[in-house]
Parts: sequence; structure tokens; C-alpha cells
Amino acid sequence: MINFNNQIASQRGKFQAFPFHLVEQSPWPLATSFTLLTMALGAVAYFQGFPFGGELLLLGFVLTASVMILWFKDIVIERTYLGDHTSQVQSGISLGFILFVLSEVMAFLSVFWAFFHSSLAPTIEIGGTWPPVGIESVDAFAIPLLNTILLLSSGAFVTWGHHALIKGDRFGAIVGTFITIILALIFTGLQAFEYMEAPFSFADSVFGTVFYASTGLHGLHVIVGTIFLTVAFIRIVQYHYTDSHHAGFESAILYWHFVDVVWIFLYIFVYVWAS
Amino acid sequence: MLGLRAARSLRSALPKTKNAVALRPATRAIASSSRLRSEKPPAIYGEGAKPGEVPTDFQQATGLERLQLLGQMEGVDVFNTGPLIMSKAGTLEDPTLVPSYSEERIVGCNGWPSETHDMVWLTASNHRENSRCPECGNVFKLQFLGEAGGHHHH
Repeated sequence: MINFNNQIASQRGKFQAFPFHLVEQSPWPLATSFTLLTMALGAVAYFQGFPFGGELLLLGFVLTASVMILWFKDIVIERTYLGDHTSQVQSGISLGFILFVLSEVMAFLSVFWAFFHSSLAPTIEIGGTWPPVGIESVDAFAIPLLNTILLLSSGAFVTWGHHALIKGDRFGAIVGTFITIILALIFTGLQAFEYMEAPFSFADSVFGTVFYASTGLHGLHVIVGTIFLTVAFIRIVQYHYTDSHHAGFESAILYWHFVDVVWIFLYIFVYVWAS
Repeated sequence: MLGLRAARSLRSALPKTKNAVALRPATRAIASSSRLRSEKPPAIYGEGAKPGEVPTDFQQATGLERLQLLGQMEGVDVFNTGPLIMSKAGTLEDPTLVPSYSEERIVGCNGWPSETHDMVWLTASNHRENSRCPECGNVFKLQFLGEAGGHHHH
């Protein structure tokens, strides 16, 4: 323990004068660009049935995941082992993430716009009704209702985990976050099951298109949120988070609640109202 | 406090960590700052987390974050982010002191009493006697807090 007055004050000039974190040169942004390009090209090649499209997609996934791990590792080192994240840096990260979530809200807004454009005044080509003539929609009070319950309870469990961490209850933080991740995985599994069992495909009229585009985009966000929460979970287990400095966990929680709210809208409009 | 010893104390919260890893000071995979920076800031560490408990910032924080925390605990804003409060007009005999860890600091003068003229930006420098506002005559002088000859990036 170093006393501020005696030792730090005399060495103050050896630290940087300002509280902000000027990041160092890093290869990961460029590397991420190339791995994402690989993944996008692989996805297109796979969907279009080109030879080795699936392999290229898999390679893109593996490379992207690898670069993510290396980049996250650097940030964890800067935050936990080098102490670069002063309170000003923390509020910058939190504000940046809030703005990112706002942009996500706008992305979903456009998807919902597409849904309402097609469903509120169904054209004559699809029979003037919604769902279109000949389309059998998913029963909203079967798996989708179970998924609603799963996501809402996971929101409660992540709040338990968060407040346990703030209170210094390590056991509660670990268990609460772990149950959240398990519920998230069950949700993704049930969505995959529902996709396989659904009586219509992506190509079955604008109904199929807008259904899979909206629920699929949401599903991708659930997967990303699960990864986000898993990273936070690992960092809780590894003693990285303190009771007052855990901006990464709080961002994951914000993201998870956002995914939760989007699902509520999806459930109400795409599942219940549209069937 | 030695960097290596301190690194181990931070790692002591992680019982399963191998010694070889614990003895290695924390660096990023590809870091350029160590080559660019002539001297590293001193390593400051807390006791680290106790096994099975959520650490507090005081136990866990290190580096700049810890410097800020230690300052806050004594009511000191180590980054001096607030405005320079003048309690009187600076004169040639008794200039307004501008504390700085750098050999130069830019200071904005809007008069005495405050806000009596538009902002005028002046450079308080270690290399000149004082800096005087052409608008109101306020005198500023750099109060150099760093080490003489410590950082030279000219």
C-alpha cells in the first residue's frame, strides 16, 4: 500500500497528466476486418451453394472468434493489470455502449417497419390478409410463450447476479449470471427447434421473409448477448470485477435487457397479433 | 515496491495461477508504448482480492486507476480537471500560478473579475518568466511540478 502524500505525490509527474486512455497501436481492428470479410464471403458462398462455401464460413467463424479472444485479452490486460480505466474512461465506455444500443434500436426499428409495412395493409397478391392465404403461422402460445417466460426470468436472474456483485456476494454473482446464460442457451435451442419445425420457409411469401428476418436478427443478438454475458461470467470467476468497477458486465446487462425488450415487441406483434 | 513482487500480489487472488505466469509482468501481446516511453510509471498495487470474495477497487485497482482512487480518498483530483480558480488578479510580483507536470500548459484568461472579456488563450511555459494577458493584464506563471529533465520529447 502506498500512501498518497508521501510516495505518490513525489512520483505524480511519472504518471500521465490526464485521465484518458490513449490506446496503443493494435493489429486487431485490421485483423477483425479481414476475418469478417472471410465470414461474409463464406456465408454468401455457402448460401449460394458454391464449393467449399461452408468451409470458408467455418474458417471465418474460427478466425473471427480467435481475433475476438485476442482483442478482449488486450482490453482485459489494459483494464485489470495495467489500470488504464480511470473513472473518466469508464464513463466513456458506458456512454459509447449506450449509443451503440441506440443504433441497434434503430436497426430493429427498420425491421419492424418492414413488418408493419407488409402486415398492416396486406397486398392483393398475398390474398389481402395477414398471415397470407395458405400460410400457417406459429402458435404464439406454445414455444414462443415459453421463450418469453425464459427471457423475462433471465432478466431477473441477471439482476440478481448484478446486485450480488455490488453487494460483494461472489456466490450470488456467479450463480445469477450462470443461470442467465443457461436460460439464454435454452432460448436459442428452442428457437432453432421452432425454425426446424415451422411449416413455412424464408422464401414463403413476405410473411416468411419478414418473420425470419425479424426473429433471426433477434436470435443473432441473443447469441451475441450470450457471448457477452459469458465473457462477463468468466471475468467474475477470475476476480476481474470489483464491486464498483464492472463496466463490461453492466454493458452486457444493458444489452441483455435490450434483447429482452425487442423480444417482447416481437412476441406481441410478430407472434400474437400476426397469428 | 518492485513490479514483480506486486504483480504476484495482484495474482494472489487467483489460486490456480501457475508461478511462471504470475512472475511475468502484465504486458499486452503487441505493445508499442514500452519502446516509445523513456520511463515507465511506478507500479502501484493493492493487496488484491481475497479468495472467494468480490474485491473492492481499493484492493484491486492498479496503475492510473489506482492513482485516481488514492487521490480521491484524500480529496485530491490528481488529474486537476477543474478550472483554474483565480482568487485575485495575477500581477508581475504575484502571478497566478498554473500547476503543471508538463513544461507547458495552455491557460484561458477571461479577465478579472471572471468573464469580463472574451477568452484569450495563453501559453504558460517553463521557458519564460511569465505570460501576460493582452486584454486585462493578468499575469500567469507556470508552476512546474514534474521532474526537471524528466521527459524531453522535443
